[in-house]
Amino acid sequence: MSSSREKLIQLLSAHMHTFVSGQWLSEQLDISRTAIWKQIKQLKSDGYQFEAVPNKGYRLISQPDKVSENTIYWGLNTNWLGKTLEHYEEIDSTQRLANQKAQVGAQEGLVIVSDRQTKGKGRLDRNWDSDNAKGIWLSFILRPKLLPSEAPQLTLLTAICLADTIKSLTNVEPSIKWPNDLLINEKKIAGILTEMQAEQDQIHYLVIGIGLNVNQNQSDFPSGLGNIATSLATVANQEFHKQEIIRDLLMRFETYYQNYLTDGFKMIKSKWESYAYKLGEILTYRSGKQRSQGKMIGIADDGALIIEDVHGHKTKKLYSAEIEWF
Amino acid sequence: MLKISEIKDLIKCLDESSLDEMVYEYEGEKIKLKKNQPVSYTEPVSYAQSQKVEPPRTEASLQEADEDSIEVTGGSAPIYDYQITSPMVGTFYLFSSPESGPFVEVGDQITKNTVVCIVEAMKLFNEIEAEVDGEIVEILAENGELVEYGQPLFGVKKK
Repeated sequence: MSSSREKLIQLLSAHMHTFVSGQWLSEQLDISRTAIWKQIKQLKSDGYQFEAVPNKGYRLISQPDKVSENTIYWGLNTNWLGKTLEHYEEIDSTQRLANQKAQVGAQEGLVIVSDRQTKGKGRLDRNWDSDNAKGIWLSFILRPKLLPSEAPQLTLLTAICLADTIKSLTNVEPSIKWPNDLLINEKKIAGILTEMQAEQDQIHYLVIGIGLNVNQNQSDFPSGLGNIATSLATVANQEFHKQEIIRDLLMRFETYYQNYLTDGFKMIKSKWESYAYKLGEILTYRSGKQRSQGKMIGIADDGALIIEDVHGHKTKKLYSAEIEWF
Repeated sequence: MLKISEIKDLIKCLDESSLDEMVYEYEGEKIKLKKNQPVSYTEPVSYAQSQKVEPPRTEASLQEADEDSIEVTGGSAPIYDYQITSPMVGTFYLFSSPESGPFVEVGDQITKNTVVCIVEAMKLFNEIEAEVDGEIVEILAENGELVEYGQPLFGVKKK
């Protein structure tokens, strides 16, 4: 998005429902009135409706209810996350495109969002069903000055952002299945895929991908997924405006992330544990080739899962394991 | 890297011959086989032989053991001068998905930016770059294996 349109949206969203003159806008943005008129025209073509009165200026009458660069940007109070944003109606995978952009130097904070994904990506190239416009499918780029071994904490951080958002929209407390799946009533409502390119001691970039089921009915899920997937609409019995949820997620993430960079993982850890699925329960898991059982007692200071053996004697940290959750 | 079947063929050759010992070299790989030697873990052949007398196992674990024995045979004559190590605890993936080919194979020429594998920890997928120019001469971890921080993953002959 051009920087003048960004500023224009900021000004218009700050002066909703009142007239703003073309002259004033042109002074604020330091562009000609003709250029302002062109920007307004672009917003109109995106579905924004203005009343234009000579000598008074423009007044916004209504905004489109859809996801677009403009509608996400409208009211997005972040400093850097989503300040550059690309919206597509259809794309193969937001994760793939974000990775590609990061490889050629895209800045921290670039957000790629698509209405549909034809090849939505889950972990290990597993398919993520997202070939519909009813969910939120987005990926964004981070370039944190952290050690690669600290980066998994950002997956947990993303999970609590999603949990907070889901809770605020539905009034239902979701649970987080370690480390990265969001569940309501034991059904998956959202997932996170984090990919990183790094050297031994330095992160080149991270791409965090989010899939959130929003307006799907149970019948919208392909057969087989209906029993294991759910959506905000199903839980809350109402439809949601996706652009508002995207804004909410980006603002929450930026806030948590800034706090994390200055204050560390502690606050994230306790918040994460408050949402933890099956905390205190006995789990069966496979780590490497070994299948074992143990009680999940929380997460460690680095985000690893802490398991206590069945005798209650020893604890160990799991970084990578297949857990039999259900 | 030599295939299991190829190593088995070599062992068969040696078994059927009057030789006590043989060395096979091909494209920078070297395997040394001896017979009628006391069992010792430093000798690759004894490791491979000891396997034959092990009780029957499932197909999967047999395969694992076979791959282990390759590591030992290769390790007997290190021909690399650089190791790519894991920057974190996690699961080592040589394949990006079960259907796709490996990121790299023995003999592949790599540059600093070549992605050689993925290490997954807490569902974060870390693409590991080689950080050196050279040739992959040995793969030191097994696909799907849990690796430690700093554990060697690849042996590289630097350019």
